[in-house]
Amino acid sequence: MHPTLTVLLYSSVAALSGGLGAAPMLLRARPPMVWLGWSNALAAGLMLGAAYLLLASGGDLAPFAIAAGAALGIGFGYFTHVASGTEDLELNALQHPSPDYAAKVLLVHTLHAAPEGVTIGVAMMLSAPLGILTALAIAAHNIPEGTILSAILTSGGASVPRAAGLTVTTRVGQVLFAVFAYAVLAAAQATLPWALGFAVAALIYLVMAELLPECYHQTGPTSVAVVTILAMGLVVLLGAWLA
Amino acid sequence: MNAELGVFGYALATALATGLGALPFAFVRGVSRRAVAIANAIAAGLMLGASFGLVTEGTRYGSGPTLIGAAAGVVFILVTERWLSGRAVTVGAGDARGARQAVLIVIVMTVHSFAEGVAVGVAFGGGMTLAVAITLAIAVHNIPEGLAISAVLRPRGASVWRCAAWSVVSSLPQPIMAVPAYLLVEAFRVALPYGVGFAAGAMVFMVLVELLPGALDAARRPAVALLVSATMVAMVLFQRHL
Repeated sequence: MHPTLTVLLYSSVAALSGGLGAAPMLLRARPPMVWLGWSNALAAGLMLGAAYLLLASGGDLAPFAIAAGAALGIGFGYFTHVASGTEDLELNALQHPSPDYAAKVLLVHTLHAAPEGVTIGVAMMLSAPLGILTALAIAAHNIPEGTILSAILTSGGASVPRAAGLTVTTRVGQVLFAVFAYAVLAAAQATLPWALGFAVAALIYLVMAELLPECYHQTGPTSVAVVTILAMGLVVLLGAWLA
Repeated sequence: MNAELGVFGYALATALATGLGALPFAFVRGVSRRAVAIANAIAAGLMLGASFGLVTEGTRYGSGPTLIGAAAGVVFILVTERWLSGRAVTVGAGDARGARQAVLIVIVMTVHSFAEGVAVGVAFGGGMTLAVAITLAIAVHNIPEGLAISAVLRPRGASVWRCAAWSVVSSLPQPIMAVPAYLLVEAFRVALPYGVGFAAGAMVFMVLVELLPGALDAARRPAVALLVSATMVAMVLFQRHL
């Protein structure tokens, strides 16, 4: 298969798997708070694992270019939050008085998908197996994130299929940015350390700004830490097994 | 000079460099809740970055042993935390939670130095020709680790000298472990991934269970996210390229 098609295929799998996150809503209209906490922690661990994979296999690239890319990645996280007025938004409220709350959360999820797409593109550029593993880690992390988003949307009155559809829609950016990043990287190899720094820093930023702050409120720090580190360890183990 | 003494001397020099990490805190006075949170975020990023480096190193010798070591590191922190919360510890003028974190970080970083000492000894086992280069590299690499310790101790009321002293103490296992590791390279090469994994697991768990909740309690999310991601990437690049 042509490598660009591999990127397209696996990033599409990642985006679509977000829809699976809506499944638990069929069982219970309102999931218990600890589910949301563990979902956040699981997603956070998988994202930290993806960041580790990129750094472990591409960290020897030009350090100043990686640092500059990282500054851009942090800037992306910071300015998209500030510009959209969501930097202090509570992201997991199941009952929110503001009528545009769901729209804001959908916006946050859409922005969040962009650096994840870049992550898939960068990993594919480093090696095809690494790219597939990274895409699958992103796919797995889309499921608990989809559960949280679906819980918010269904508690706002949306049906479960509609919540699943909206979750997948917010992840379209993963496909677009994966293919776009891969195309640019294939055309200009020199951009690889920049893109790698961007992806790693943006992933860590989003974990710290969006996922972990929520789950410490939803469940205790010990269970957050255990779930996060298990998810991260699994990705690290699979990455080592590949290498 | 005989080789064992040389290894000890070089490793001791790297331990002393850790004390330099306290230096920036000579200029910091405020001990507000926000300052503690900011310092927590910095320490979290540095420790996360250091553990990424350790895992990369460990998986080179064996990924299974590294992961087993990491699991043991997590359990170690869980048990130590329980044990500490059962007794009254005080550090400076801080509260009980702050004191527990201060004791915990010194323990975690000291334990991690055992693993690093083994890594130093095994590295010297490859021959003493690169001794000065390795020593310089590890000395420089230790400074931000001293920074991580001082970032936790200083806002909880420890003086700059105390921060420097505890930073050096946390690194003393390096020269102590470096010599046997140098003499018994083959045996220690087998143990290395377990030790390195243990240190990484303990550090990541400490970050997730103590430092980040503490940081997010009193500082805004964008500030924590910015500091953690920036210091984490900086630490990985610094330790890998210097």
